[in-house]
Amino acid sequence: MRGNQGILPPEPMTNDAVAERLVRAARRSKDMGRFQKQNLVYLELNGCSGNIISLLNGRNPDFAYMVNDMVNLRYSNSLMAAEGAQATEKLFEAMNEPFILAVEGAVSLRDEGMYNVIGMHNGSPLTGLEAARMLGEKADTILAVGACATHGGVSAARPNPSESVGLQSVLPDRELIKLPGCPVNPRWFLGTLAHIVLYGKPDTDSLGRPLMFYSTLIHDRCPRRPFFDRGIFAEKLGDPTCLFKLGCRGPVTRTDCPTKEWNSGVNWPIGANTPCIGCAQFGFPDAMEPFISYDTTRVVEDE
Amino acid sequence: MSKRIVVNPLTRISGFMEVDVKVENGQVVDAQTKGNMFRGFEQMLMGRSPFDAVYFTQRICGICSAAHSMASSLALEDALNIEPMEQGRYLRDIIHCCEFLQNHIRHFYQYTLPDFVKIEQNPLFQADHTDFRVPAAATAQLSRHYFESLTISRRCHEMLAILGGKAPHNHGVFVGGVTTKATAEVVAGLSSILTEVTAFIEEKMVPDVYEIARYYPEYYRLGGGYGNLMTYGAFDRYRELGTLYVDPLVWTRDGKEPFDERKITENIDRAWYRGAKNTYEPDEEMPEPDRKKASAYSFVKAPRYDGLPMEVGPLARLILSGDYTNGVSAMDRTIARAIEALKIAGIMKTLLGELIPDTDVQAEYTLPETTAQGRGLTDTTRGGLGHWLKLKDRKLSFYQIITPSTWDFSPADDRGFRGVGEEALMGTPVQNPDEPVEIGRILRSFDPCMSCATHVSVSGKPVKTIRVF
Repeated sequence: MRGNQGILPPEPMTNDAVAERLVRAARRSKDMGRFQKQNLVYLELNGCSGNIISLLNGRNPDFAYMVNDMVNLRYSNSLMAAEGAQATEKLFEAMNEPFILAVEGAVSLRDEGMYNVIGMHNGSPLTGLEAARMLGEKADTILAVGACATHGGVSAARPNPSESVGLQSVLPDRELIKLPGCPVNPRWFLGTLAHIVLYGKPDTDSLGRPLMFYSTLIHDRCPRRPFFDRGIFAEKLGDPTCLFKLGCRGPVTRTDCPTKEWNSGVNWPIGANTPCIGCAQFGFPDAMEPFISYDTTRVVEDE
Repeated sequence: MSKRIVVNPLTRISGFMEVDVKVENGQVVDAQTKGNMFRGFEQMLMGRSPFDAVYFTQRICGICSAAHSMASSLALEDALNIEPMEQGRYLRDIIHCCEFLQNHIRHFYQYTLPDFVKIEQNPLFQADHTDFRVPAAATAQLSRHYFESLTISRRCHEMLAILGGKAPHNHGVFVGGVTTKATAEVVAGLSSILTEVTAFIEEKMVPDVYEIARYYPEYYRLGGGYGNLMTYGAFDRYRELGTLYVDPLVWTRDGKEPFDERKITENIDRAWYRGAKNTYEPDEEMPEPDRKKASAYSFVKAPRYDGLPMEVGPLARLILSGDYTNGVSAMDRTIARAIEALKIAGIMKTLLGELIPDTDVQAEYTLPETTAQGRGLTDTTRGGLGHWLKLKDRKLSFYQIITPSTWDFSPADDRGFRGVGEEALMGTPVQNPDEPVEIGRILRSFDPCMSCATHVSVSGKPVKTIRVF
C-alpha cells in the first residue's frame, strides 16, 4: 500500500485536499494501531534555517501534529530544549535506533568543514561535514530539505566562498529524497514525511523529487497563462499580467505553487505580481539569475 | 578555582553559536561568543544584478528575511535616487510589522520558554537542568500556549504573504515599496488576522512573560552588560504621520543623542578575516575570510559606534523611545520583546488605516550607466541592520552587511572592548557548572541570529573591562 493514492497530479481537489487526506489517513492508521511513530533527526547545516521556520508554517498537518503524533523529533538545533554537550549527546544517541534524517543547509567543505561547526563532541568541534556523513550513513531514509541541501543553493552561490555542496555530494551512495525550494514549502516536507511514515517512500522522479509535489511545470498551470498565450506581458513588477518578460522561471520550474500556493494558500510570488525566481529548481540561484529583468526579450549588446 | 565552560551548540537560536566562558569562585570572569558558520554573502553579491539583491540577501536569514529585503531596497533607492511614495512605505512597513510579530512570538515561545518551563513530555523538550520553578498549573497553561502560539505565528506569516507572496523569503518588498496593492479584501483580511494576533499578544504573551519573570526575579539583575543602546530608527519620520515608534538615537554615558551613521566602523582584530585595514568604515573595505587566523575566534566581525560596542534590539528601542524605563537586564530584554510586539501590532493597525486602495507604487527602474552607491539603514526585529552597496556597469561591485546580531554578538576588538553579549555574561553567578543554564538564558534574551558566524578557542590577551554606563 504505497505510491498512487489518487494524489498524483493533476490534483483534482481543492487547496488542502491532499494534505487533509494524508492527515486523515495518518489518524486512521494510528487509531488502528499500526502507526508506529518513527524517530526524526532534523539537522541544520550551512544555510539560513529558513526551512524549519517554513515547517512551523505548516497546516494540515501542522508542526504540533508532527511532533506529537507523527514522529519523535530527537534533534533540532532550532527547537530542542537541550543545549551544548547534552544536545550533541542526543544526536549521537539517536543513531542507536532507526531514524529518518532530514537535512537543511549545504555541506561546507572548506578547511575540512570548519566553516560550519554545528556542535562539540568529546572536546572537538563537530563539523556539518562530519555530521552529514556520520548520520547519512546510518539513517533509514534521508530527506534533503530546501535548495541548499538538494544542490548547494544560495550557500553555494558563486564564488562559493565556503565551498558548500549539496548533501548528495558527501553521500554519493545513498538514495536521497530531494525537496528543493527556498525555502521548502511546508506541505512538500510534511506531506513527504507523512508518506514515509504511513506508506514508505513516495514515488519520485529521476532526480529524487516526490512526484506528488514536483511533477508539473508552474507555467502549465499558471493562472496567468492566458495572458502568455495572448502575448500580454507585464512591463514592471506589480502588473497583473504574464511576468515572462520580467524573467519569470515558471516555464522551467516544477512545483504545485500555482494550485496550492504558500502560507496556507493565501498567496504566492506570481500572485504578488512578481516573477517566479525558480527557487525550487536545481541550479537555483546562479542558473536562475537575473531574478528581475526589465524585458528579457530586449536586445542586450555586451552580455 | 577556575573552570572553563563551553556551550556548543547554543540551541534555540537561528544559526550556530559557541559560548566559551571562564568561571572563578562561581562567577563568570571571561566570556567569548563565537559565530560558527560562514557563507560569504558580500562576496557572492559581486557582479550580480543590483535588483537581485532584494531577494538574494533575504537568504541570509530564515526567521528575519523580510528585514534584509527592507535594507537592500532602501540601499537601492538611495543609489538610484528613488523616493518611494508614502503609500509604498506604508505597505512595505506593514510587511515588516508582520515579520516583527512572527519573530517575537516564535522567539518567546519556541526559543525562550523552554529555558524556564518544562513543556509536556516529548523528546524535543527533554532538558538537562532542574531549575524549573513555575508551578504545575501554570506550567500546563504555558505549555498549551507554546502550541497555541504556533498557530498565531503562522498567521503572522500568512499576513506577510498576503502582501509579500510568500514567507519566509518574500517577493513583495522591492524598490519603491511593494509589488502588491491594498485592496478592500487585502485590508480587511489583514485587519481580521491582526485582531486575532493582537488578542493573543495582549491576553497571553505579555502575561506569560511576566509570569516567567515572577519566578525568576534574579534575571532582572543578570545579563545587563554595557548599557550602551542604539537604534537606526523604526517606523519613523513619515511625512504625514511623523514617528510612530522611535527616531535614530543612541544612549551612552554621555546621555541620549541623535544617531550619526558616519560613526560606524567595523573591526576584524579577533575575527576570522583578513583585509587591508583592521578597522574600516562600512563602505570602504570588504575583508576576506581566513579561518586559520590565529588571533581570531569568531566569524562575526566587531562593529563599533564611535569606537564603542552598542546593544541593539527591542529593549534598546523601547528605552530610547521612552516607552520602557525599568532597566537593562536579561529579563528586561525578554519583557521588552513582548511589549514591543503589542506596540508593533498597534503601529500596523495605524498604517492599515492610512492605505489608499489600488495605489500602484511600482515603476520600471533603470540603472545608472556609470557608478553609484547607496546605503539602507533600518531597525529590524533584532536591532539596527545596514546594507551598503556600490554599482558599476549596472552590476553590484561592492556589498557590505552589518546585522543586528553582529552588534550584539561581536568578538572583542583591538581596543579591548568585549562584544555586547560577552560583556552581558561578565559576573554572572553559575550555580552548577555542569548545568550552566544561566548562560543560555542571558544570551537568548538578545535573540541571537548567527547568520554570518564562527569558532576555535584561543587563550587571548587579558581583556580590560571598561564600564561605559
